[in-house]
Amino acid sequence: MASKKKWLSLMVSLSVVSALFVGCGDSKTAEAPKDEPKKEEAVKTDDKPAESGEPKQGGTLTVGTFSDIVSVNPIFVQDTASGDAEQFLYAKLFDYDKEGNVVAEPWSLAAEPMKISEDGLTYEIKLKDNLKWSDGQPITADDVKFTLETIMNPETGSPAISNFDKVSKIEVVDAQNVKITMKQVYAPFKYSLAAEVAPQHVLKDIKVTEMQKNSYGTDPAKTVTSGPWKWAEWKQKEYLKFEANPDYWGPKPNIATVIYKIYADQNTEVQALIKGDIDLVSGVPVTQLDAVKKVDSINVASLPGPQYEFVGLNRKPENFKDKFVPWEGQKTRQAMAYAVNRQGMVDNVLKGVGQLMNAPFMPNSWADPGDAAVNYQFDPEKAKQLLAEEGWKAGSDGILVKDGHRFSFELQYNSGNSRREQVSLVMQQNFKDVGIEMIPKAIDFAAWNEQNLTPGKFNAILLGWSLNSPDPDGESTFSSKFFAPTGQNMVFYKNDKLDKLWEEGTKVVDQEKRKEVYKEIATEISTDLPYIFLYQYGTPQAHSKKIKFKEEDAPISNLAYGEFFHVINWWMDDAK
Amino acid sequence: MTEYLIRRLLQSILVLFLISLVTFGLIHAAPGGPTQMMISPGMSPAAAKVQMHNLGLDKSIPEQYWIWIKNLLTGDLGKTFKNNTPVGDILWPTMKNTFVLMAFSWVLSMIIAIPWGIYNSTKPYGISDQTANFVSYIGFAMPAFWFGIILQQIFSLQLNWLPLSDMYAMDKQGNFIDLLYHLILPCSVLVLANLAAYSKYSRSSMLEVLEQDYIRTARAKGVPERKVIFRHALRNALIPIITVLGMELPALVVGAALTESVFNWPGMGRLFVDMARAREYSVLMAITLVTAVVVVLGNLIADILYKLVDPRVQLGRKGGKSA
Repeated sequence: MASKKKWLSLMVSLSVVSALFVGCGDSKTAEAPKDEPKKEEAVKTDDKPAESGEPKQGGTLTVGTFSDIVSVNPIFVQDTASGDAEQFLYAKLFDYDKEGNVVAEPWSLAAEPMKISEDGLTYEIKLKDNLKWSDGQPITADDVKFTLETIMNPETGSPAISNFDKVSKIEVVDAQNVKITMKQVYAPFKYSLAAEVAPQHVLKDIKVTEMQKNSYGTDPAKTVTSGPWKWAEWKQKEYLKFEANPDYWGPKPNIATVIYKIYADQNTEVQALIKGDIDLVSGVPVTQLDAVKKVDSINVASLPGPQYEFVGLNRKPENFKDKFVPWEGQKTRQAMAYAVNRQGMVDNVLKGVGQLMNAPFMPNSWADPGDAAVNYQFDPEKAKQLLAEEGWKAGSDGILVKDGHRFSFELQYNSGNSRREQVSLVMQQNFKDVGIEMIPKAIDFAAWNEQNLTPGKFNAILLGWSLNSPDPDGESTFSSKFFAPTGQNMVFYKNDKLDKLWEEGTKVVDQEKRKEVYKEIATEISTDLPYIFLYQYGTPQAHSKKIKFKEEDAPISNLAYGEFFHVINWWMDDAK
Repeated sequence: MTEYLIRRLLQSILVLFLISLVTFGLIHAAPGGPTQMMISPGMSPAAAKVQMHNLGLDKSIPEQYWIWIKNLLTGDLGKTFKNNTPVGDILWPTMKNTFVLMAFSWVLSMIIAIPWGIYNSTKPYGISDQTANFVSYIGFAMPAFWFGIILQQIFSLQLNWLPLSDMYAMDKQGNFIDLLYHLILPCSVLVLANLAAYSKYSRSSMLEVLEQDYIRTARAKGVPERKVIFRHALRNALIPIITVLGMELPALVVGAALTESVFNWPGMGRLFVDMARAREYSVLMAITLVTAVVVVLGNLIADILYKLVDPRVQLGRKGGKSA
């Protein structure tokens, strides 16, 4: 398996909510990196609460959320809530900077940037020499080796296993130095090292098959951590409480207490923000955006997050009536892309919190292909013309027919997701206007994932991918090596040129050279269209003006967990 | 009476067993298992299998049921798939939270609604009765969550008199006064909803009794009106009211999902929805079982209360009012 960087966005918990990782916007990220072609400013940058004042010590930051954690054990974390908690409790080997580069910060476990050998096969990590766990034990190279090897052990059942499947061996050089040797050159690997480490001295005697069930990660008293805050309390389904760790090895956080408070109802969560019960909400429903913006004490940032939505077009004939894949022809797929009013969706359904995407690369990241990807501007006439060129003719009921097959398909999405519901209705009308019949069908997520997504059994799907790592590699999603059910290529898309390019992209270590490869991929993929790429989306983040930070510590919208970017440097204005 | 109770108990056990069997089957028949929400799509099928095995989900359904019932008989409700928390650790505190909210509003509703209904039956179509009618319409017609949101807007956000949500303020966990303070809004919502049913039932039940011959006889004999109402009429009118209250009893532990949700009350209604979504089989089974027990118990208590208010009721005998 290739790098596990993309996840199904599990947006099922609440009807209105959509995005899981959405950060606050920062005008700087919108223009970086500078050598990129200029892009249209599709998103508005709201006023920033950046401060030049001096940080205050103490105070409480209360974060509102809608789901409880599962376990904070770094070996098993995979849901957003647990991931959020990790941002406070654990230090990472390396952290991301604003542009999504992997760097060693004062609060990272690593003392200096990683050393990658000329041939791209060995990675050397040097740890700081004063690191210690919350129980006072030192954090050493042994902990790193133990964590990675436990993740790599298939018996463990760690969701992060595919991050390390190209590792051949991990050696402890001395207490502060680790050397990782790869089986092959794999450029995205450095992002896998922006990872939390688990304590060997606590976990070493637990059988790996029992580890997921162990109370490490769920019992605050037994969960030894490495970060600026330690875990004081967990009341399931109610709240988590983190207190500043007095024995923390790094630069002390300003905020004394962090409360992660769980709300069952999003309306209540937003009202609580307005009332001042909570200070930060990372998923304000777009329907409530205007109400929140009116409140003086709240800042709203409505930049989209690191995720995009698409229509996946299945190419396996067995999934269709008479084994006829209506969009087998490239022009038909392009016609479908022209037929869909994407900007209309962004403006009306997403209320502007979105940006068109033409290729599976995060806008404004180093791999953003810019104009190299083909943009399909809403153009029903052009769509009709392309469909006619492919031999589609209007039938008696107005629906196009080719070789005796009507152009009719089912579009599946998860029930309860009101954004997808609305978008599917827009699309239904858009397609009807060019003579294509689309039948929307909502399915409960758990059932959908098991019966349709994993085996790749559907006509078309409306789904989102979260880009958890800033690396642009998408081989496991689009390469024909990764067909469902074992891989994530659920639409059975095969393009030999792309297969080669995706592989090449991971084998070149030099970022400038990689960039060229991904540009080429963007052109090809946006021409051939395995998906109709729709938009980068997100839910706006709102926070109380009580939260203060300097400009360089402002939250980042398009990084995973970017809403807590540099939270260690934030402070609360009402701290006494 | 004892013989009756034993018979009812045995019946109940059979009913509970059947319920557990059917529920277990239904829950497992629903497509998508607990791991669908846990296994990341990037995980290889082999790793996913390891996880299924570690969680015991690769066993057949009858085998899983057998394990579940065996554990249940030893008092073990099982653990969650998600993070191996014992079901009891989640269930009992949540049930306590729901019970506090529901019992409070239940008692309050009774205290207000029953006397009001009785009073209105003595002066039908008077001002008080018309008011009760109006309030009932509102209570029936307005969805609980909507009324809750309105109360929040007025009393919490605009006037800032009352807390918006939750059971306790963050820094006052476990404080009884703070609990009462937090109970006001959600209780108001639930009381309004109950008020309609309870006051209407007691009013119409009383009206029916007041038209009976023996009431006319009592009045003709010159019995004071007060005595007619409380001694002669009320006791006979109580039977339908007890039935309604008995039916409401399970709500004490089942909770009110929407109201709990709006007020972020950490209760059962919310738990059930969350757990159903996550396919947490053991928690769902425990909730179903507890609910079933309370329903059975509620019926039994109602039956016994019939006997207490009306000595003519013969429990368990032919022609009696046992369910």
